[in-house]
Formats: sequence, C-alpha cells, structure tokens
Amino acid sequence: MRIKVPMPRRTFHFLCVLAFLSVASGLAQQGHPLTGTWSGDWGPSATQRNQVTLVMNWDGKNVTGLINPGPDSAPLTSVFLDVTNWTVRIEADAKDKAGKAVHIAAEGKLEDLASYHRTIRGTWHQGSANGDFRLTRD
Amino acid sequence: MRIYILTVCSLLTAPAFLTAPAFAQNGFSANYDNARQVTLKGVVTKIDWINPHAYFYVDVRDAAGTVANWGVEFGNPLDLEEEGWKPTTLHIGDAVNVDGVLARGESRRIFAKSIVLARTGAKLFTATNQKRAAPSEPAPRWPDGQIRLGPAPGKKGYWGAASRGLAEDTGKPIAMNDEGLLKNLADADRVAPFQPWAKAVYEYRQRRLLRDDPLLRCLPPGGPRMFQTPHGFQFIEQRDLGRILVLMGGGDRNWRMIYTDGRPQGQADEVVRTYYGNSVGHWEKDTLVVDSIGYNEKFWFTNGGLPHTEALHLTERFSRPDLNTLKYEVTVDDPRTYTRPWTGGWTVQWVPNEEIQEYFCEESIEPKYQQRGE
Repeated sequence: MRIKVPMPRRTFHFLCVLAFLSVASGLAQQGHPLTGTWSGDWGPSATQRNQVTLVMNWDGKNVTGLINPGPDSAPLTSVFLDVTNWTVRIEADAKDKAGKAVHIAAEGKLEDLASYHRTIRGTWHQGSANGDFRLTRD
Repeated sequence: MRIYILTVCSLLTAPAFLTAPAFAQNGFSANYDNARQVTLKGVVTKIDWINPHAYFYVDVRDAAGTVANWGVEFGNPLDLEEEGWKPTTLHIGDAVNVDGVLARGESRRIFAKSIVLARTGAKLFTATNQKRAAPSEPAPRWPDGQIRLGPAPGKKGYWGAASRGLAEDTGKPIAMNDEGLLKNLADADRVAPFQPWAKAVYEYRQRRLLRDDPLLRCLPPGGPRMFQTPHGFQFIEQRDLGRILVLMGGGDRNWRMIYTDGRPQGQADEVVRTYYGNSVGHWEKDTLVVDSIGYNEKFWFTNGGLPHTEALHLTERFSRPDLNTLKYEVTVDDPRTYTRPWTGGWTVQWVPNEEIQEYFCEESIEPKYQQRGE
C-alpha cells in the first residue's frame, strides 16, 4: 500500500519558483535587448541603496525612456549601447529632494542577453554621489 | 559472455558541415556536434519508441573494458514508420553498429545516421531528409479556376518543410544548415541588411548555436518560421468564411488565420501584438498575397535567429506552379531592425497521399522537467 506523503511547504514553494522561472525564461523579449522595464537599485554601499525603475524603448534610431516613471520621473537624455562589448551608457537629468537639478550618468554591462531576466550592472553617478547599480529586466 | 566494444572510428578534426536531419526537432545543432562523428558497437538494452523522439540504448564496452550505457536518438517514430521501420525492427539484446553524431557536452548520447544489425549485416536505418516526391501534375484548382493550396478533392497531402533558410535573395547562396546555422559566421552581413544591434544579436545567437531559440521551449514560431519547422503544414481554405487557416504539424502545432474577406489591415499601433500577427490576404491572379503586422517580440520569426521588433511588417506571396511545388516569398520590413526592406524565400515540396502526423513539442521538454523532479 502506498502512503501519500505531503510535500513540505518549503519544497512546494521552491518548485513553484522553479516552475515560474522556467516559464519566465521562455517568454524572453527577443527584440532590441534594451527594450522593456528594468528594476533594481543603486547606491554607494551595500546598505545604502536607492530603488530605480528604468523604462527603455528602441524606436529604430534611439533608445528613449524614463527613470522612475511617475511624478518624479526623469526622461533619459542619452542611451548608448556598444554592441561590440554590450556595454551601456545611460544619462538623464533629474531633480534631487530639494528640487535641485542633478545629472545622472550610469555605465554598465549587459549580461545574460538571452535571458528574460537579463541584467545591467555597473557604476552610477548622480550629482556628486557615486555608487554601483544593478538592473534586472522585469 | 557479451562483448561490447566502443569504436570511435572517426573523430573528425575538420569541421564537417552536415545537414541536420529534417526529422530531428529543431535544436539539432545546439544538442549535437556534427564535427564529432562516432561508431558505437554494443547491445540494445532498452527501446523508447515514443513520439517525437525515438531512442534506444546500448551497452558499450570501451578499450579499457569499462561498460557504459549510451542513448541513441534515431528520429521521429512517425517519420520512421513511413520509411518502413516498425517498433519490432529492433529488439532488446540485438547487437548493433551505429554511426552517428555525438551530443555536445559530456553526455553519452548520439544521433544515429545509420544502424546496422551486427548479426546479419542488415542496414536497419539510414538518415534521410527526403520525402517521396509525387509525379508532376498541374496544381489543383477550385471550380472558378482559382488555385487550391491544399489537396485536390478526394486526395490527401500536405506541405513539407522549407527548402532552405531565410536570407535576402541576392542570387548568391549562403551556406547554412536546415536550422539556419551559418557555415561561416562572416556571411552574417549577407543574410540581411541588419542595423548594428540586430547584427550583433544575430551573431550572438549563431555563436551560441541557436540554443536560446524560443521554439526549443515550444513557443509559437510566427512569420516565415512557421513554414520552416519539421512535420510540415497545411492550408485549409474556408472560402465561405473568407479565411484561410494554416495548420502547423510542427512547432507548437498551432494555427494561423489569414482573412481573405476583403477587410482592411488594422492600424499598426492598435493591433494586439501576437505570435502569428494579424494577416489579411488577397489573390493576384494565381498568387496569394498576405499582409501581416501586429507581431510580439517573444519569438524568432525565422530559423537562424534573425531578430525583429514589434514594427515587423511582412508581405508574403504564395504561388503553386504545379501540384508538388509551393513557392514562398516574403518581404521583411522592420525599420527598427533592418536598414531597408528585403526579400527572401524558398520552395516547399508537396507530401502526397499522407496526412500531417501527430506531434507535440511539449514531449521534447518533458524529460527536462522530469529530471528536475517536477
């Protein structure tokens, strides 16, 4: 006689995550590698992080988009993708909490190009602050 | 006492650019290395006569006397049956000599190109890409004289796979296999007038031997790709409903709708983005002209990994100069990916007196889930 053993909850959750990832990786966006919504953070240290959402779209000539869509959004002023090494340079003009204009410049490398959850990692400069960033395509 | 011998007859050092078996599911190049061909001698221990990939397993003894079990993939059972193979052709315990192509990586797996029964010397199987050709006849027509894209009344048949990969038709052929894998990556510039990013993405996919192909995960192959999958396709012309269904035997075994009721094409920025797009068609004498927009970006629209964006606009021309031949021509217009519109195409052969056979892509990926315990 076979006895049905209940699956531990942790195992069940793990399998759910695995199944989700396997489906998600199958639905990767296959067009221009920067097109889409990216989320992540930047900051000067591991404990001081600032959440970032980046929306980019390739229009055939330029990549346009926004940083942090919403009331505090900042339009991207320049996006350059070097396809010889998959490095990206992103620039925008935003405002700090005091309403003062600050320039944002981020340079990173596009990784896992074939993955739905491809990433961009690199350095982030915002005004006088410097740090690193990691963005993952949603 | 059983004697098992592994003979690696020819580990070819010169890159052999052999055609991927048409009956193999897409992803042959990602899974098997044509440059590494071997001969196995061993005894059959297990036979998996399962659609879409038939396997048998052999115990093979190497020069050091160590016995290892190898998996031998030898095609699609439905195609094999058409070639005269039966589930009883091979038995557990038979000693066989198998010529084939080694799997990439370290797994003990090959794709058979020929199988010989050691006891009798009888050749059980030789890989072939050719379906039987029918005698040449005029293309069938409807009572009003319009060309039929399907079989004549009372007849059976369907269209096989495309004769070659898609590339811009410049009169100079580009060497690529059935999966669209280039023989020389330096030919990438000749495949299509890429924008720089698109060429880089195409080359990236080629360098990775197309292993990122969404079709390998059974996602729908829209655009010309639907005519490039193994197992063929069929047109169902529903003239009273003003539409043509294109049924796919391979890929995700899905269908595409072409409206021929005179409706206008939708607005590009309003059409819902789908895998198979929004297609409207009309006849220009004996040629069906189909205009399609509204594609999403979740698939490869042709084998070989040519990229596209949501701006993809296809104009396809189908004509049937005789019973056995379908001429396919497609003009690709995607200004976000290519610097100008370009045109390519191929011919497709009629497979007479047969129906499209059952095939489900999901069975190809099921073992991966089983391995993960899902």
